[in-house]
Amino acid sequence: MTPWSRILTGASDEPILKARDFRAVRFTILLLLVGSFAVLPPTTQGDSKPSVELNVEQAAPREVNETVAQAIARDYSAAWQALAAALADNNAAALNDNFVGFSQDKLVRRIQDQQKAGLRTRIVDRGHKVKAIFFSTEGATIEFEDTATLETQILDGGKVLQSERAQLHFWVIMTGAEDRWKVRVLESAPGD
Amino acid sequence: MRPLRFAVLAVTLGWLLTSSAQEVRPPQYAVAGHPTTIGTSGEGEGTLYLVGPGQVIKRHVRLGSDVAIAANELGSAGRWIAILRAGGRSPSQVFFVQSGTPESLSFLARPSRVPVARPSVISGIAVVFDKFQNLVLQPTPVKFSLSVEGTEISQTVTSRNGLAWVNSSSARKAGAAQFVARAGDTSVRRVVQQVASDPCNLRIHMAQRNPVGVAFETDPVRDCTGNPVPDGTIVTFTQSDSRGRSTVDARLKKGIARAILPASDKAIITVACGVVLGNELHLGGAR
Repeated sequence: MTPWSRILTGASDEPILKARDFRAVRFTILLLLVGSFAVLPPTTQGDSKPSVELNVEQAAPREVNETVAQAIARDYSAAWQALAAALADNNAAALNDNFVGFSQDKLVRRIQDQQKAGLRTRIVDRGHKVKAIFFSTEGATIEFEDTATLETQILDGGKVLQSERAQLHFWVIMTGAEDRWKVRVLESAPGD
Repeated sequence: MRPLRFAVLAVTLGWLLTSSAQEVRPPQYAVAGHPTTIGTSGEGEGTLYLVGPGQVIKRHVRLGSDVAIAANELGSAGRWIAILRAGGRSPSQVFFVQSGTPESLSFLARPSRVPVARPSVISGIAVVFDKFQNLVLQPTPVKFSLSVEGTEISQTVTSRNGLAWVNSSSARKAGAAQFVARAGDTSVRRVVQQVASDPCNLRIHMAQRNPVGVAFETDPVRDCTGNPVPDGTIVTFTQSDSRGRSTVDARLKKGIARAILPASDKAIITVACGVVLGNELHLGGAR
């Protein structure tokens, strides 16, 4: 009788596990663990949210309180995660929850153009340093500049056409929506 | 071995020479909505990719010639990457496209409904865009004007980083205020409904008396700047006498609220609307 059948049926007077059985059980668990790692899909960068360091000291005319700052940082991070997923898979629907208005229109067009050209863009996001410069009096609109460290690969099919790691500069406007902050403007610009 | 070594060297040198000749030269200065050219060098044919923030352009090109990009093709401002794919290599260059002249505004006006004569209560935020929906980062004067019933206040603010904002007080007159943001030839209009503020000088008087009850009504209810308080606003009448307290909530109808309270020999009648208290009437005894 195998140790497993003894454990499952309890059909034996012997102790449930003998010392030699421990080795067999340990080996089986190890095999199962190795097997589960083998069949799991590889983890992509898009699975983790990029870090966002938000500095609100210079925001005016209204100060940004701690809770709002945390919500904005959380939602901006989620927006970049969605953007990376959308550009990697050419899936414009991934933008719906985090982008609105012109920024969404432009990214949707980029994805459509990528599809036509047979391209994809892979972004490995190394984090964002964000400095708020405007927070509206009624507390529903924020503008900030973002210095992002991104590793970008442009792929044609499976082949890497271009690859870079760069610090990029963005002007961003987010507005409060029903349950989250959404990116309304995302404009890249030359750094200072 | 010597001929073989020579052949390998020649092939390597040849590959280096031909490959180093393939280059892409983006423009030093480009503006969205303006034509531009991308220079290429090398021999043979290749594919040029221009990957922008909101666009991708793909062209088959003859190496060594300039590639013309038409005005309506280059619409997305920001950071672009030009990639030339030819002969197994893909050299690339980064270039920036500036936004064009202001041609559209996104105007966020809040709130949509506001009491009259309140300081800095209306907020207007204008975001300046060009024809292709690119944020215009160059400072741009934006004129905000708020007008209602023939009175207008206006203020011009220069945008910073694409955004101009203003805080305005509400006017003294109730009505639909036209809140307009204008940049160059572009203007966007929003309506801010200005409603009467809290009532001022709330007064009641006895309108009718019979054995069953006493009818009280307010004078026409207005705010402190003379605007009629909207119909439907609740006015509370309270009667206190030896039997206790009776309360009636009545809505304003044509500017007047009316309530019938139980007949009483001696009672005090008070009236309130929101946070505002009105006059007090004494029934029976000293009046």
